[in-house]
Amino acid sequence: MTAAAPGLPAILGPIRPRPRWRETRLLVIVAGAVVAGSVSLALTSQVADPGESHGLSLANPVHVAVYLGLLAIAHTVLILSGRRMDEVLLPTAGMLGGISLLLMERLPQTQVVQSVGPWRLGLGDVQLAWLILSFGLATGLAVTVRSDSWLRLYKYTWAAAGVALLLATFIFGDDINGQRLSLTIGPISGQPAELLKVILVVFLAGYLSENRSLLVEESTRLGPIALPPLPFLAPMAAMWAIALGIVVMQRDLGAALLFFTVFLFLLYIATGRVGYVVVGVLLFLVGAYLMYRIVPTVQTRVDIWVDPFKDASGSGYQIVQSLFAFGRGGLVGTGLGAGLPTVDGNLPIPAVHTDFPLAALGEELGLVGVTAILGLFLVLIERGLRIAASAADEFRSLLAAGLALVIGTQAFIIAAGNLKLIPLTGITLPFISYGGSSLLVNGIIIGFLLALSDRGVEPPPPPKPRGRIARLTGRVSRLETPAAGRARIAPGPARRPDAER
Amino acid sequence: MDPFLLTVWVVRLLFLALLYLFLFRIARALVGDLRAAAREPGAELGRLVVVASPGGEPEEGTSLALDAIATIGRDVNNAIVVEDQFVSAEHAILTFRGRAWYVEDLGSTNGTFVNGAPVTEVMPLGYGDVVQVGQVRLRLERPRPARSRR
Repeated sequence: MTAAAPGLPAILGPIRPRPRWRETRLLVIVAGAVVAGSVSLALTSQVADPGESHGLSLANPVHVAVYLGLLAIAHTVLILSGRRMDEVLLPTAGMLGGISLLLMERLPQTQVVQSVGPWRLGLGDVQLAWLILSFGLATGLAVTVRSDSWLRLYKYTWAAAGVALLLATFIFGDDINGQRLSLTIGPISGQPAELLKVILVVFLAGYLSENRSLLVEESTRLGPIALPPLPFLAPMAAMWAIALGIVVMQRDLGAALLFFTVFLFLLYIATGRVGYVVVGVLLFLVGAYLMYRIVPTVQTRVDIWVDPFKDASGSGYQIVQSLFAFGRGGLVGTGLGAGLPTVDGNLPIPAVHTDFPLAALGEELGLVGVTAILGLFLVLIERGLRIAASAADEFRSLLAAGLALVIGTQAFIIAAGNLKLIPLTGITLPFISYGGSSLLVNGIIIGFLLALSDRGVEPPPPPKPRGRIARLTGRVSRLETPAAGRARIAPGPARRPDAER
Repeated sequence: MDPFLLTVWVVRLLFLALLYLFLFRIARALVGDLRAAAREPGAELGRLVVVASPGGEPEEGTSLALDAIATIGRDVNNAIVVEDQFVSAEHAILTFRGRAWYVEDLGSTNGTFVNGAPVTEVMPLGYGDVVQVGQVRLRLERPRPARSRR
């Protein structure tokens, strides 16, 4: 069917579907896995001793069906759009979302209760709603974004909007557990730091692609390390200050670490200079030590990390329980739904649905399952870097790499925190943790990556000429007639015909 | 063993097996992509698009594939021969070193310019930059993709 479907609005243009067989095959496996998971959950609740309350809730078959229907619709829309987009991203995100849905269905539904009109929505319902919005957003962006000029040209505007969001959170934010992270405007409340991640990547991609050649020059030497001209180190200093500001003002260690890491990654990708990374890591160490001395929250986190068993029933409680959960899981886990969701009616890990989903999955799916989940994140990073490598220009390349690295770095920070590899910082596991802001932003990231992977989009704009001379020749060569131009084109010393031959 | 418990474990392991089947299929697809990219004959490192060329050689709008070393000049032995009276026999050289392109002027009479700025020493060149030799302007672009992905 290549002809225009009759009756459609003209703006949509002719619909030329393009089959995406690889995506179809992968989505079939995703559907199989999600169904198998929910059956496993249902059977487990039969095994459980009826006398003992496990706080286990059954996977709602309607929810699973709605979720799989959602993936099918997203797939169909991508086929109908007819763009040549990556076929691995949607199934991978879909698999992570499916695991998230199974986990949220299985945890006690009273963890999160929201009333919308006459309905009372539990944890699973709310998570499903956010997943629908997230995949809807991803598909919408993938189909509609055809030009990047609205990101590229207004990078300073975006940066200003990001800083404004951050300041608004400083001033008007709500305090939850001593952290000032969420902002409530009317009926909507969200965590601006999540959106800030995307804005940061857009700004950095724009800034670095424009100033790349300046950053590559070396003119300053610090011992054996060659550094670029000092003024161009300013963005690094600014970024460092912003990260420290987030720690001091918001007590949000995770976001600060994420921002600074992604910044260093992008700087390295843009310039290929190890010197920047060395300076960045040194700055990080200095900043981390300062924060450890000044901010009590940081001190507690590090102390817990050094020895969580010192206060195993107090401050180290969550991380100790998380380690126990991983230990109980063993190689193949206890099976979905057969872990220990509640002890005496309380969750052993209170923040299991936001900060510790990996611990719950580690208990129920074991080492084998956790490795597979980390593998899924690895696939997302690989796809992002591949899209970056074949992008049409520097800006798109940096944008794709940055977006993929945001997801990858975030997954690493929280997974390593749960496993006590690094001090724990509260941050979400992309696509798996409960949380609206986080899921929506992950949807935006996948949508952008899909749009960037299409090579048939508008070509990037020509580079801006640098300096006065360039502007001059640019103008002259546009106006010139062959005779008049020859005399006026010379940008430097007067030209003479080359007489070597 | 209780047959029901056995079923439960079969389903649990089936879930894990499907997770790995999914990863395996993706890994195969990714390896296939990489192989296809590597097989591509004469993998190029970049392209020069002719933006302006009053002399007509090379023609405006053509795009030339680049090897790691590409010399520009009026002499026929250059990789890119430019027919323009303001261009020297051996005018400039583009080299791909490590992961970036560099341009160097070979002591030409009228000089080489990158985005309008004169090239005095070896200078890094980004994709999208415009090199000017004589009256000919050439834009460096990324290599063409190995093969359009389905």
